[in-house]
Amino acid sequence: MTTYIIRRLLYTIPIVFGVLLLTFCLFTLVRGDISVELAGKNATQETIEEIKQEYGLNKPLFLSWDSQFIDHFKNALTFDFGRARDRELVRDKIKRGVLPSLALMVPMFFGVLIISVSLSLVIAFVRGTKWDTFAVVVCVAGMSIPYLSFILFGQYFFAYKWGLFPVFFSPDLTRSEYVALPVLIGIAAGLGSNLRFYRTVMLDEMRSDYVRTAFAKGLTTRCVLFKHVLKNAMVPIITRVVLAIPFLFLGSLLLERFFGIPGLGYLMIEAIGSRDYFVINAMTYISAVLFVVFNVITDICYALVDPRVSLE
Amino acid sequence: MTTHILRQCLCTVAVLFGLLLFTLVPIGCGRSPSDEKPQEMVLNHALATRLTGLDPGDQRNVTALTIKSQIFEPLYQYHFLKRPYQLVPLLAEDMPEISDDNLTYTIKIKKGVYFQDNKCFPGGKGRQVKTQDFVFSLKRIANIKYLSQNWSIFDDKIVGLDDFREYTKTCERREDVDYSRPIEGLQTPDDYTLVIKLKRPWPQLLTYALSDTATAPVAKEVVDFYGKDIISHPVGTGPFKLKEWRRRSYIVLVRNPTFRGEPYPGEGEPGDAEAGYLDDARKMMPFADKVVWTIIEEDQPRWFLFLQGKLDASAIPKDNWSEVITGSSDLKPEMKQRRIHLKTFLDPTTFFLGFNMQDPVLGNNKPLRLAISRAIDRKKFIELFRNNRDVVAHGIIPPLIASYEPNIKEKGYARYDPKEAQSLLKEAEKVHGGKLPTLKIAIPGTDTFFRQFGQFFKRQLEAVNLDVELDYMDGPTYWEKLHTRSLQMFASGTGATLPDAQDLLQSFYSKYWAPGANSFNYSSPEFDRLYEKIAVMFDSSERRELYRKMELVVLEDCPAAFLNHRVAYVLHHDWYKNYKPHAFAYGVSKYRRIDMKKRAEYKKLLKKVK
Repeated sequence: MTTYIIRRLLYTIPIVFGVLLLTFCLFTLVRGDISVELAGKNATQETIEEIKQEYGLNKPLFLSWDSQFIDHFKNALTFDFGRARDRELVRDKIKRGVLPSLALMVPMFFGVLIISVSLSLVIAFVRGTKWDTFAVVVCVAGMSIPYLSFILFGQYFFAYKWGLFPVFFSPDLTRSEYVALPVLIGIAAGLGSNLRFYRTVMLDEMRSDYVRTAFAKGLTTRCVLFKHVLKNAMVPIITRVVLAIPFLFLGSLLLERFFGIPGLGYLMIEAIGSRDYFVINAMTYISAVLFVVFNVITDICYALVDPRVSLE
Repeated sequence: MTTHILRQCLCTVAVLFGLLLFTLVPIGCGRSPSDEKPQEMVLNHALATRLTGLDPGDQRNVTALTIKSQIFEPLYQYHFLKRPYQLVPLLAEDMPEISDDNLTYTIKIKKGVYFQDNKCFPGGKGRQVKTQDFVFSLKRIANIKYLSQNWSIFDDKIVGLDDFREYTKTCERREDVDYSRPIEGLQTPDDYTLVIKLKRPWPQLLTYALSDTATAPVAKEVVDFYGKDIISHPVGTGPFKLKEWRRRSYIVLVRNPTFRGEPYPGEGEPGDAEAGYLDDARKMMPFADKVVWTIIEEDQPRWFLFLQGKLDASAIPKDNWSEVITGSSDLKPEMKQRRIHLKTFLDPTTFFLGFNMQDPVLGNNKPLRLAISRAIDRKKFIELFRNNRDVVAHGIIPPLIASYEPNIKEKGYARYDPKEAQSLLKEAEKVHGGKLPTLKIAIPGTDTFFRQFGQFFKRQLEAVNLDVELDYMDGPTYWEKLHTRSLQMFASGTGATLPDAQDLLQSFYSKYWAPGANSFNYSSPEFDRLYEKIAVMFDSSERRELYRKMELVVLEDCPAAFLNHRVAYVLHHDWYKNYKPHAFAYGVSKYRRIDMKKRAEYKKLLKKVK
């Protein structure tokens, strides 16, 4: 097991290097020279030259120990992403955005997961009945409604019309107060697709021989569902769940924007809008590293829940 | 059996959902509920774009100026009530003494003005402002290592300042610059006298440069202490100081306890007393204890918060227009029932479809440019995209500016005449030497609004048989391409930052080609000659006439199809006092007052309205 983990971790080194090379190419070669853009309106050539000097844009791209790529590599490995276009440290921006994003995404994620896995078990059990048909129709409807509609509808009725939640973030609100409605909207919007997926997973298991054997041996339905079916359905669930965790850090672009939650989703969308490459680069790199790490965790989890999977 | 299992599973879901809600509670470990005192007067505002920084020497966007102007004070400001706009002293003791040759300005500054308390000062107590602080601010902008976007204001204007900039080029880092080096054009005979020597007369020195937060005094101690982080630590002399800035979320300013105090104007223009703008005459400002700006980029939440009474004022979102305004441009009864007031005022802005005059197809083909201008139905454009609230732009100078030509409409530069456009196109083909190629219009946005906007131009030009391709792009790409002169046609706009048409006409001066103010890359020897003449002239009827003449030179050459001048429609609650629109001032929070009783009554009123 330890050897496997070490080997998997070693595999991540070339992957991270590849990510760094890719992000460098994207943000340096494809993007082009940003000094004119940074200089703004009415800038003189000399100001543009100074900007190149300050941001190291006048250094060679690759073929030197003091090249832009080496700077990019060093900065990424030390998590020193420099300053954003507004001259604030990128690291500070990200640190500040993590908590609000997690406050929104973690309850939303677990909410969707718990409700959809539980309901999918019920639906799988009553498959083929009118309840099953009803659930499928609701799921498809939920999947068909655009995410933005959930937000607009929820904000209008629950916050503005009925006054049950605050319309928008305000400095005098506690975090639970301003994330409550976005969390509920996120759960409602995410249930359709997740329920459909988990229902399919559960149905696959319910049709297996071991389920019939378990019932034939006289085990209770509860025991069959929660002890055997759920355990065997864990591999696809883990794949979906663990690989979704890195994205929790990225927050929700639309929810954060509409409810004024100063998280990383909002930071990212704003950085894209204002072409703040320093922030986009940092966020891309961090997401990629998290994704690689959680991939390793997924592989380890497979072995923990399914003895048939051997890490050796 | 099935029912039993169903019940068990539903119970499980209920328990888990309860646990989920429980998880929300510990998350609430952020701020405690409001620490606002019961009778605290708070101004609640919204910003549609985020704030990028609070360093007065840099960053010139409207959001930054709006916040910075409450914290920093320049030497002069525009009178809050009087119209036409009039400059009055702010940190200056009086208006300057100007030498006969208009080259030397002697300005006395007020005594007893203190920087806001901050830990960078000994004992945390802000020290008194001296003229050296004004000089330091200007030297800082001149420092090339500081990369200030404000340098273009002072480029080639003040004696010795350009030499100082040259010297800074020789320094390795911005910290290495010696700010004690004397500059001939910036002298401080004593702590309260500032002498500015100009290379040539500069009529906008007072109306633009010295009334801009860029020239507000900055303490060297603050710059040295905070370094690059000064963007988050503004220390000015103004009526408000920064309490909290949560980036991308909100900014809270509180009353500056060491503010010297400034009386509300005692006189205004006719009608101000009746409108209640003089109710607070000569009372000491600021009135508010706190100003909160929440950054709300989407229209829907901003509008809901305004209707809930959580914002004092709001613009009218395009999609809510019919909910608010009647066909006769008045407020609807439902809004009046909520005691909401409407203010309309001319904005000093001009929007246009610009032509790159260096483009080989457009630049040498005046009939083509004229044909495009004649093919656009401006009234339809205003009806579709501005709810009929704007006025047609016949030229670059908006009606708010004194040199606006009242009879410009009769000259017909903005007339809609598709037939004439078609005959001009035939002429244009002759000039081009064959069929005209497909033209490309750059649109600075990619959302639905911009797509509709682009489609409008495409449809209008295709109606006169002109092939057009739309190039939608995000804002930064658009500006980059505009600054590098790579666009053919571009939808854009400009606004005057001072009540002087020179600010707008500089957009056509050939020495200011992109990335300068002249995005059209327009060049006319006649225009340049006149511009150089007016550049050193002070306000007079002769200068205003020259402005009009220059505008006609531009209109004849048609480097743009001018579309509309904005008319702003703003709503505010009846508790929001002294809300007189001002086109050129940002530091206006000090004038605002809240009628606390009326604000408290709004909740009851809301229940009634519902």
